[in-house]
Amino acid sequence: MVETGHFALVLAFALALVQSLVPLFGARTGNERLMAVGGPVAVTGFALTALSFAALTMAYVQSDFSVANVWENSHSLKPMLFKITGTWGNHEGSMLLWVLILTFFGALVAVFGTNLPNTLRANVLAVQGWIGAAFFLFILATSNPFARLVPAPIEGRDLNPILQDIGLAIHPPLLYLGYVGFSVCFSFAVAALIEGKIDAAWARWVRPWTLAAWLFLTGGIAMGSYWAYYELGWGGFWFWDPVENASFMPWLAGTALLHSAIVMEKRSALKIWTLLLAILTFSLSLLGTFLVRSGVLTSVHAFATDPSRGVFILCILMLFIGGSLALFALRAGSLTTGGMFQPVSREGALVLNNLFLTTAAATVLIGTLYPLVIEAITGDKISVGAPFFNLTFGSLMVPLLMLVPFGPLLAWKRGDIFGAAQRLMFAFGGALLAVLVTMLAVEGETVFAALGIGLAFWLILGALTDIVLKSGFGNVSARVMLSRFVGLPRSVFGTTLAHLGVGLSVLGIVGVVSFETEKILTMRAGETVELSGHTVRFEGLHPFQGPNYTEDQGRFVLLGASGNSTGEIISAKRFYPARRMPTTEAGIKTMGFSQLYISLGDETTDGAVVVRMWWKPMVTLIWLGGLVMMIAGAISLTDRRLRVGAPARRAKPARPSPATS
Amino acid sequence: MFWIVAALLTLGASLAVLLPLAGRSKGDSAGNEHDLEVYRDQLSELDRDMARGLIAPSDAEQARAEIARRIIRAGSSDDRSVSGLRFAASGRILGGMAVLAIPLISWGLYAVIGSPDLPSQPLRERLAQSPADSSVDELIARAEGHLAANPQDGRGWDVLAPVYLRLGRFDEAATAYRNAIRLEGSTAAREAGLGEAITDAGEGIVSSDAQRAFERALKLEPMQPKASFYLATALVQDGKMTEAAKAWEAMLALLPGDSPWRGPTEQALAETRKRLAEVGPQKPSVGPTQTEIDAAASMSQTDRNAMIETMVAGLDEKLRENPNDPEGWMRLVRSYLVLGKKDDARAAFNRGLAALGASSEDGRKFAGFAATLGLSATE
Repeated sequence: MVETGHFALVLAFALALVQSLVPLFGARTGNERLMAVGGPVAVTGFALTALSFAALTMAYVQSDFSVANVWENSHSLKPMLFKITGTWGNHEGSMLLWVLILTFFGALVAVFGTNLPNTLRANVLAVQGWIGAAFFLFILATSNPFARLVPAPIEGRDLNPILQDIGLAIHPPLLYLGYVGFSVCFSFAVAALIEGKIDAAWARWVRPWTLAAWLFLTGGIAMGSYWAYYELGWGGFWFWDPVENASFMPWLAGTALLHSAIVMEKRSALKIWTLLLAILTFSLSLLGTFLVRSGVLTSVHAFATDPSRGVFILCILMLFIGGSLALFALRAGSLTTGGMFQPVSREGALVLNNLFLTTAAATVLIGTLYPLVIEAITGDKISVGAPFFNLTFGSLMVPLLMLVPFGPLLAWKRGDIFGAAQRLMFAFGGALLAVLVTMLAVEGETVFAALGIGLAFWLILGALTDIVLKSGFGNVSARVMLSRFVGLPRSVFGTTLAHLGVGLSVLGIVGVVSFETEKILTMRAGETVELSGHTVRFEGLHPFQGPNYTEDQGRFVLLGASGNSTGEIISAKRFYPARRMPTTEAGIKTMGFSQLYISLGDETTDGAVVVRMWWKPMVTLIWLGGLVMMIAGAISLTDRRLRVGAPARRAKPARPSPATS
Repeated sequence: MFWIVAALLTLGASLAVLLPLAGRSKGDSAGNEHDLEVYRDQLSELDRDMARGLIAPSDAEQARAEIARRIIRAGSSDDRSVSGLRFAASGRILGGMAVLAIPLISWGLYAVIGSPDLPSQPLRERLAQSPADSSVDELIARAEGHLAANPQDGRGWDVLAPVYLRLGRFDEAATAYRNAIRLEGSTAAREAGLGEAITDAGEGIVSSDAQRAFERALKLEPMQPKASFYLATALVQDGKMTEAAKAWEAMLALLPGDSPWRGPTEQALAETRKRLAEVGPQKPSVGPTQTEIDAAASMSQTDRNAMIETMVAGLDEKLRENPNDPEGWMRLVRSYLVLGKKDDARAAFNRGLAALGASSEDGRKFAGFAATLGLSATE
């Protein structure tokens, strides 16, 4: 089974090579048979990659330590879920997951792209083939998950305990679905450049793919943030860590792409810009994948420890990013540009959005790469941390967020800014009220915090205003309004929900950053502590034996007003003997949208325990906002507008007369 | 079995290329028809929006005019005229090459990087096969599994302890001997084994813990050869060469003629006598001399480090000349790690592994030892 998987992987590489050359040549020469090769090859390539991935997963499930990758990352006592997720909890396996998703999307294009013009479809599949071939070669040459060990060791070295969590089952697959989803947009963009023309169908195709990739990436980032929050035991939700930035940059660029694709679809404008954004977004995805996977980010010297891998990575990056940008430079001039428009219009608002988002992505890129560049040139180690990002990124985001509610209210072509402002009076009033209530009612607030809360309400109410007005509020009777509401295009619901989700996330961030309270103390069994109106009694440490770890569970009881127990929180310190690594398992109690977060520190010599306790008001809204954005994307994706009508094929092709041109 | 599956997969992959090439050309709709379809769709959407009152009639009229302009533009630039026949010949050649490339690339590449003869080895199956076919590692794993479930089985520990010792897993051997002694009672053989395990774990230095174990063994069985031998070695290490030589001599006098300990003892005695003759009775054989230690104690930290480094460098040099010395390599790797020179330790590990041969018994033992220190061959 293991070797079958290995062989299937090699075979998939051979198919990717064919896929990258034959349909392209067919499209250049108008040879329909050659173009037709792309589809079946893409589907077969996916089937073989899936077989290969299944074989590796099977090796993990069966603890086959004759596979070096399994030996390095698994242990026979690990719970079954983590045996399976361990498949992609390491460099080699995660790269295999990457190509699995890539070939999956290639197969989707092949299956659902039958209504695309033949040459466009062939070119798109060929570009997907290039990406696939490069990655297969990378895996086979430098990171082969099927390398064997003779003789097989009897026990594995276990998976990094931090990864032994349900998060590993959700976060990387979602993230990769997002990253790789943008590869389809990239392929469409490069295919359009190769053809030298942008079809109207191009615009309609790019939007659903961008939407799908964007919604997965949103989910992946939100899940990753929540995972870091509860697993690392620091209670933070975003650290501006380079690895996080690596996933955030394609998200920012992808969000920009999502909005510019609307302009292109509706108004045939911004075509070239959209194309460039599609290229940039996937380039950032590639950069993100590789920065994380190569270990460059933790240290530049990761290149030195495995030169072949690092150099390979650099080559792929240069080939795809450099190649596509060079192609863009060559061909962009020959593409027809779209129509003009007024600055105050829906298009204008979307351009503004794009300017802010791409600048923000550039800021994050600079902040992430600057330390690497400095270290490479001068050897000095510097770190660019939260202060830089909060200042630059924050000052870009605040004006953008203030403008968000205006966008959907402006008409295409010629908008009326005062009209929009007038219609937003209600939302503005609500936001103002929220600011006042925060200032008056909440203790220990700052002006900034109150304004932040106001901004969040401005976003939420602004989004709601849009959909209420579109239902005809104030002009028609309630019944007509309801039927209009139901009949609104799904993309309108998508817009509203997505902007609402942003508002919720902002509310959560402002809430937890401004109103969080924290206590660090040593506690003995039986002692109680009070934090932001919640009384907690420490019941003591109890040893517990897990399947492949031992832990000390600290039990805490939440006390009600009359001293009765209203709930229990268990926070633990774990030790994984196979890797000799300790982890902390935070104890979290959710109350409404807020959470009480308890993390255990070291035991003192006299038997007391260091306890860190946080009250995190509205913290779950950060991720619920992300979830709402995901749902918004899914709703938008079902909009009928996004389906490209297929022209009926002619039963018999008009035979082209030979050598007419 | 594997080859059949591989052949079938190759066949399937080749067919995926071959069938579309051989199939009848389905014919394509004109390139612009797709664009027109999109525009028609936009027109009907406009009508729906108007019916819903989402767009003012004047705006809708304007939008309709724009879409109409696009339709006219699309209709006027029908540019589909590339001939499919002109390139038919080159297309056939490329198609044929593509079909051939699938088996050639896949079998060629797999022949280089694959291990077709290695079967899958699920752990459960490996542990379930009959003990006669199992490797030592698998037998140990089985015994460990048994002891994890029945930690009070003293006989199990008794059996496992010498196996650990043989394999160089000294700390585990010591634990197993302690468990066996606790559960099954103290015997001379167990105490001597415990002493040996502690000694080997300490890189051959007979520590006071080990000495006490050997002394307990001798109390139970005054003639226990292993305990006598190691206690004599302890004397050498303390620099008491004359006493050591006397102990070896006493041992030889009492050992039966066919004892396996005769050889090593005679050798040790000969060596001790030689050293005694060479450098006088004060020179210990292992480690630094008393004067060196005294000197080190009075040195500053940097000087002391320098001295240690000189000694490690000496060991390094010796191993370059005589690389077939697994113990020496282990000591070198550990020394570098103690000095905090991780890169040197890794280099030494790689050199040692190359010298011993990665697949040899010693090489594997060495790799296992290094793995416990956090070094591995893949790095």
